[in-house]
Amino acid sequence: MSRTTSPIPFGDRLPASRRVFLAAGGAGALALAAGCAAGGSADPGPHPGAGNEGTPRRGGRLRAAFPGGGANENLDPHQANLFVEVARAKALFDKLADYGADLAPVPRLAAGWEADQSLATWRVRLRRAAFHDGRPVTAEDVLYSFRRIADPKRAFRAKASLEPIDLAASRALDPATVEFRLKRPYAEFANTLAAFGAYIVPKDADAFERPVGSGPFTFGSFKPGSSLVLRRNDRYWEGAPHLDEVEFVVAAEESARTNALLGGQVEYAHELNPATARVHEGKGRITVVRLRNSAMQGFVMKTDRPPFDDPRVRQAFFLIADRRQLVDGALSGAGEVGNDLFGKGYRYYAAGLPQRTRDLTRARALLREAGAEALRVTLDTAPAATGFVEAAGIFKEQAAEAGVTIDVRIGNKDTYWKDILTGGTIASYRSGAMPIEAHVSQRLLTDSTTNASRWRVKDFDDLYQQIQSTSDETLRTALYERMQRRLHAEGGFLIWGFADWIVATANRVRGVSVTAPANTLDWARFDRVWLA
Amino acid sequence: MSPDRAWLGRRLLLGVGQTAALVVLIFALTEALPGDAAVALAGDQPDPQRIALIRENLGLDRSAGERLLDWVGGLAHGDLGTSLVSGRPVADLLADGLGPTLVLAGVTATLLVPLSVGLGVLAARREGGPVDRTVSGLTAAVHAVPEFALGVLVITVFALRLGWVPPTAIGTGGDLWAHPDVLVLPVLVLLSRPVCTISRLVRAGMIDAMASPYAAHARRLGLTPTRVRWAHALPNALAPAGQQLARTCDWLLGGVIVVEALFVIPGLGTVLIDAVAARDIPVVQGLAVVFGVVTVVVNLGADLVTRRLAPRAEVAA
Amino acid sequence: MSERGKRGGPGSRRPVARRYALALGLIALPLLFAVFGPLFAGPAGARGVSFTGGQGHWLGTDFAGRDVWRQVLLGGRSVVLVAVAATGAAYLVAIPLGLAAALTRRTWLAEVLIRPLDVLLAVPSLLFVLLVAALFRPGPAELVLVVALVIVPDAARVVVSAATEIAARPVVEALRMQGESWWRTAVGYVARSMRRTLAADCGIRLAGALYLVATAAFLGVGVAPDASDWAVMVDRNRVGLFLQPWAVVVPAALIVALSMGTNLLFDAALQDPDERVGERL
Repeated sequence: MSRTTSPIPFGDRLPASRRVFLAAGGAGALALAAGCAAGGSADPGPHPGAGNEGTPRRGGRLRAAFPGGGANENLDPHQANLFVEVARAKALFDKLADYGADLAPVPRLAAGWEADQSLATWRVRLRRAAFHDGRPVTAEDVLYSFRRIADPKRAFRAKASLEPIDLAASRALDPATVEFRLKRPYAEFANTLAAFGAYIVPKDADAFERPVGSGPFTFGSFKPGSSLVLRRNDRYWEGAPHLDEVEFVVAAEESARTNALLGGQVEYAHELNPATARVHEGKGRITVVRLRNSAMQGFVMKTDRPPFDDPRVRQAFFLIADRRQLVDGALSGAGEVGNDLFGKGYRYYAAGLPQRTRDLTRARALLREAGAEALRVTLDTAPAATGFVEAAGIFKEQAAEAGVTIDVRIGNKDTYWKDILTGGTIASYRSGAMPIEAHVSQRLLTDSTTNASRWRVKDFDDLYQQIQSTSDETLRTALYERMQRRLHAEGGFLIWGFADWIVATANRVRGVSVTAPANTLDWARFDRVWLA
Repeated sequence: MSPDRAWLGRRLLLGVGQTAALVVLIFALTEALPGDAAVALAGDQPDPQRIALIRENLGLDRSAGERLLDWVGGLAHGDLGTSLVSGRPVADLLADGLGPTLVLAGVTATLLVPLSVGLGVLAARREGGPVDRTVSGLTAAVHAVPEFALGVLVITVFALRLGWVPPTAIGTGGDLWAHPDVLVLPVLVLLSRPVCTISRLVRAGMIDAMASPYAAHARRLGLTPTRVRWAHALPNALAPAGQQLARTCDWLLGGVIVVEALFVIPGLGTVLIDAVAARDIPVVQGLAVVFGVVTVVVNLGADLVTRRLAPRAEVAA
Repeated sequence: MSERGKRGGPGSRRPVARRYALALGLIALPLLFAVFGPLFAGPAGARGVSFTGGQGHWLGTDFAGRDVWRQVLLGGRSVVLVAVAATGAAYLVAIPLGLAAALTRRTWLAEVLIRPLDVLLAVPSLLFVLLVAALFRPGPAELVLVVALVIVPDAARVVVSAATEIAARPVVEALRMQGESWWRTAVGYVARSMRRTLAADCGIRLAGALYLVATAAFLGVGVAPDASDWAVMVDRNRVGLFLQPWAVVVPAALIVALSMGTNLLFDAALQDPDERVGERL
């Protein structure tokens, strides 16, 4: 089972800062293939960095401060849920693939993958890699890891992502090749290999007090809730990291992370407030890195009940939103406006659709047509993520200008996501980075497990299945556009913005990616980082 | 004295009862919170099937009474139970958090008593005089500043601008003794409010006591003002202050959440906040036991002191 | 006989008046804002970018791009009302309870009255706020209840402690022997003799209530995170302290002035020689 974050709202609304789920995660139940039926190349390509100037220097210890989960945390990579847990897991372990900056899967422990004609049987070739204890990473380890995640008695987060795989029928063809049998055609299957939490652990590993993985760092020492020290893995398959050691420290409070960085107690601070970034950006004391498109921000409308079962009311709400004002007010300007579509900047994103802007006249007309004049709705929100309550307050004011009365109801942050899954009519919503395919399969299909907009449309399900049965990339892109056109016109998600994730480092830290959204391969990737 | 011993025995028995009542109260409050550990664990992936499965794995499908009884049964063997979230023994979690908390609380309490009593006595020397007004004004002002605001201020000035001390306790791994410089700012912030409260109570009590017939009598007997002040008036003045001091000690144990957060000190307050947010009931319960026991002991001490000090009025009669 | 012998002296009249003026001055400003501010706030203007100055916002904008001046005007009512109401409610319970417990000759009654409070005392106040506040939706009435609950045991203990000391005085014994009613003894003598300690304590409790309200904002409980409330303003705007200090400094100064003024007012009232007459028995 995975754990959520803890806490209290501190600082910038504690809740928010601390808790930050990787909403991204969960990845797709079904996924999409890199180049479709033939997996990507093994070359990760050049590494865009904040300061790549100069030749990497070897040595030193980097201390990285993250908000975290307190004394309850453990190092089981399959239980990873918070950003700090994912960052630690990726330092110690590898996945078969991971997401590039556009959320397309990039090969990692897998050297490549290919499907048969049906797109329902996939062969994954493993590269030569070894665990920290010297044992090679084999097909058996992969199958063990996936079966552990999918264990029906347990509740690992990645379980839903692996659902399309028939693990009983999947097998090792040889030590370096796994054959996955799927329950249905799945052109974007490689998304599953990169799924949130789908780390490869050694066969039979079930205790992680002293974790053994294949990642770029080996275990040093661990004090739950406080610090984890890792050492360089000189035999890492992708080349040894530059750093001697990396230490993860946990600091829930945003100002504490900032102060520790300014005071020289850490060299890397994850998740800072936009205001903090504005204070220090360009002042030379620390380096601020903005990871664009890291979190989608919006409202979710329940399409199965009044008043939002009428598409005209949903369209009216799309037109009520002043997106720039929401980004400025709720995100302190640290983000971009959204167009009611998930995944801006990601692969298959329908960038060609016109940007929706505010139109109160049209919104009033639509409401009149729908017989919803003097509409009054309750908007559910909670300090469960940064900016939620602020956005609700701003949207309330905007709606009032269109004659819609919104009552903002502030719920409990710890149970928020469950409460809004089935209850209420409209609610604050956010999601971390994941492929568009994962967003669709987790949230927009009739049998999706977290279908918060209650979007259950038979021909939409069919369209998704058609995409996953299409091996031709161009064709698939066209189908995705058709799908998004529909969501843009009448979907249940009012997506008003995409938030930056803000990271800051000491000035001598080099090699931090500036393009990778939080939760993708190059994010929090300390094997590429070095100290000048 | 044997009446004292009987009183003590009764109080200890009461203390056990109080701690039990506290545990039940906290259990009831935590149970009453919306959601449970399974919901909190599921977070933003609230798939109903997954929640049901977690609930089953954690044994949360049993009734509340059953779980409480189970836990009490374990307590009888000195077993505080297991954290729902991490599966670690609660005793381990508490032990980890107790170290930093004790250091912080100990240092603060040690400095608190001389500082606040001294200030209170000083202010009471001449009521309405310049010293009194300065001290009263200052304590009234500082007392009004919430810790998080004061914390931000002292970190900015002393750690970031002047660089005299580190801004946070990051990197100490909770071993605060080994890094005394890290303690300076947290202790300063922790002291700020209790010093004000207690010194004001001491001042008020001193002024009352010095004006009492008892003190007048002592003066008539020819005792020096200093002796009247310290040996006779002060003990009387300490009675209400003693109660407040007891309260402060409780607070130092679990109420320093804000300071722990600002300075990244992994103490009991942090454990508490995390446990409540995660609905990790066994951990919250374990903390309730610790708080209960400490409160009982500390208040017992305060009452002992009050009993010793207040009867002097009778003696004077 | 005079309870308070020599102290102060007639010469201290003028400084006391000055202290009144200072205390009242400190209280007046936040109180005026709290009572009349909302009347002058006017409608919400358009939002700007957070933590900026100028553009018609003479105190700049806050974390959500709102006008700070308007938030200051609106934000006093909840803070002041909650703190005052919670303190008042707490004493309404604590004084009768404490007097009854201190003056009764039945030990069991004292125990029954005081022990439940000890259980509440053992709950760290922030834990209590955290747990109880989570049961309610955030709002001023709920916050009053929570804060009052936290204050009652403390206030009651101080009352008991002070009353016990006074009740042990020969005067009380004498009153009893003269057959004075419990009521006259309790209210007429004990309660009046406790005034100094109580007043000092009352100032502390009110400041404590203000502190709890402010810290509740920091913990994000009991109050909406974007509420128009000075305490919330201090917490939420502190991230922008270096961009736009007014959003923190103004509400913080108002809270501190209120709390400090209250304490000084109680001090001054107690020192007023005219007041002392009443202390003669």
